[in-house]
Amino acid sequence: MPASETVDFEREFEELVRELRELPSEAPPAVRERVRALGEPAPRRVFFPQLTWRRATLVLVPACAVALVAAAAIHGLVSSSKNTNHLAADVARKQPSQPQRELGQKTLGSSGAAQSGGTPTTQVFGALVAPNVRAPAIPTPNPVRHQDYEADLRLRVKDLDTLGQKTAQAMRVTQQLGGYVASLSQSSTAGQPGEADLVLRVPVAHVTDAMVRLSALGTVLEQHVSIVDLENTVQQQRQRIRALRLQIVRITAALQQPGLSADERLRLQFQLDDARRNLSNATGQNKATLREAALSRISLSLTTQSPIAPAKKHHKGFFGRATSSAFDFLAGAGAIAVAGLIIISPLLVLGGLIFWGVRSYRRREAQRLLGTT
Amino acid sequence: MKNVNAVTTTLPALAAVRPTFASVAESELDAVHRYLLFLTGNRAVAEDLTGETFEKAFRSWRRFDPRRGTPRAWLCRIARHVALDHFRSEERRQRREERYAVGVAEVEEPAWGEGALGLGLPELSPAEREVVALRVLLDLDGPTAARLLGISQTACSTRLSRALKRLEEMMSNARV
Repeated sequence: MPASETVDFEREFEELVRELRELPSEAPPAVRERVRALGEPAPRRVFFPQLTWRRATLVLVPACAVALVAAAAIHGLVSSSKNTNHLAADVARKQPSQPQRELGQKTLGSSGAAQSGGTPTTQVFGALVAPNVRAPAIPTPNPVRHQDYEADLRLRVKDLDTLGQKTAQAMRVTQQLGGYVASLSQSSTAGQPGEADLVLRVPVAHVTDAMVRLSALGTVLEQHVSIVDLENTVQQQRQRIRALRLQIVRITAALQQPGLSADERLRLQFQLDDARRNLSNATGQNKATLREAALSRISLSLTTQSPIAPAKKHHKGFFGRATSSAFDFLAGAGAIAVAGLIIISPLLVLGGLIFWGVRSYRRREAQRLLGTT
Repeated sequence: MKNVNAVTTTLPALAAVRPTFASVAESELDAVHRYLLFLTGNRAVAEDLTGETFEKAFRSWRRFDPRRGTPRAWLCRIARHVALDHFRSEERRQRREERYAVGVAEVEEPAWGEGALGLGLPELSPAEREVVALRVLLDLDGPTAARLLGISQTACSTRLSRALKRLEEMMSNARV
């Protein structure tokens, strides 16, 4: 278009154009001398190649993009390796290694040794066991000491039929081990999870065996074991019984002495009756304590309740985790960029308006000065 | 027959060669003076502004990028700014003087002589003379001239055509 247009106006106004070009308009010698006197500007020291906006954009934008992707990749690799370590740590926490289990048993043994000092000690072993995870080692009572052994065991069974079968099986196990069922409560309502609560009394000597066999009836959901040492209590009770027996012997001997007044005989008789009554109580308490120490108490709960499904984790490989983490990083960077853009966009708009306004004003003023409409 | 020895040189490659300021000043001095003479319509002012333009160009020679345009277009842009600044200051001066010297008219020497063309050119507006200078005398192409004037190519063509037509009419009237 420009070429044809040039041709057009040169054809249309041929004579005029020739005349215009012939007009004398060379710069006078004074101006020429003034300009020549300027000479040559000092060359600029160029440290970096001169970048135009377009070239800078073409270079910087891909460079920033590459840098961002590289940062995301590094972040993905680093964070995924951290995740691996965390997972390993979690697994290690949830599934203690064999030495750790042995250490737990040794701890129990040492607590037993501490109990030999005669101080009643309560050992509570609580464990919230995740489904499908093998039951932890069951604490065993000290066979040479009197101990109150209590255990709570919660198991999940498949369905209501199984619930009945397992309840009966638990009762059989208890009887086989020389124990008895102290209480039994079973409920199976339609639409509700079936529950069976049993209180079993099993001889302490067989409690470990009982716990193992009962644990095998279903999936262990919860297990609590409490061992209270009764040795000190038993020893105190025995000392008191011995003291009371000695007192009875002395009183009896005193009553057999001749020459006692009626009042003294009556007072001794009262003391004897009182001592015998105390002895009877102490003996009863001692028997109760021994009975408590002889039979463990196991509260067994069987349920058909479905396990709460834990959040399903997608076990991705290293590459998958790294990619996911890198994308998360990029998404975060994008979010920051968008937020930054939202924050500075009013300023950009304002700057654009100012630029446009100044430009329009200058253009209008130039038009006015040059007499154009 | 095709000339196999012909060397084709691309325009950007030529434009990328940076000339010296002195050579540019030597080759473009007349063109800039001609442009400013048409724009201002005053020979003395044009001479002053030409010198000023080259001084300004000398100071900002580092910013000249041959890839973005020819030296002539770059110098014309500077000359235009210089001329507009002159018009502004002249306007202020006239306003100031009008307060104290009302009725005293300035006698200006005709810039283009006493011929029909010399009488017609002052009748055009500076903007019309400017586009004539850029397109006819300085041989700038349409897009370059339009960019320099800050208008569209169509507006540039229209303005040129209108200016030449008016000038031609005035010349024919003067001859009659």
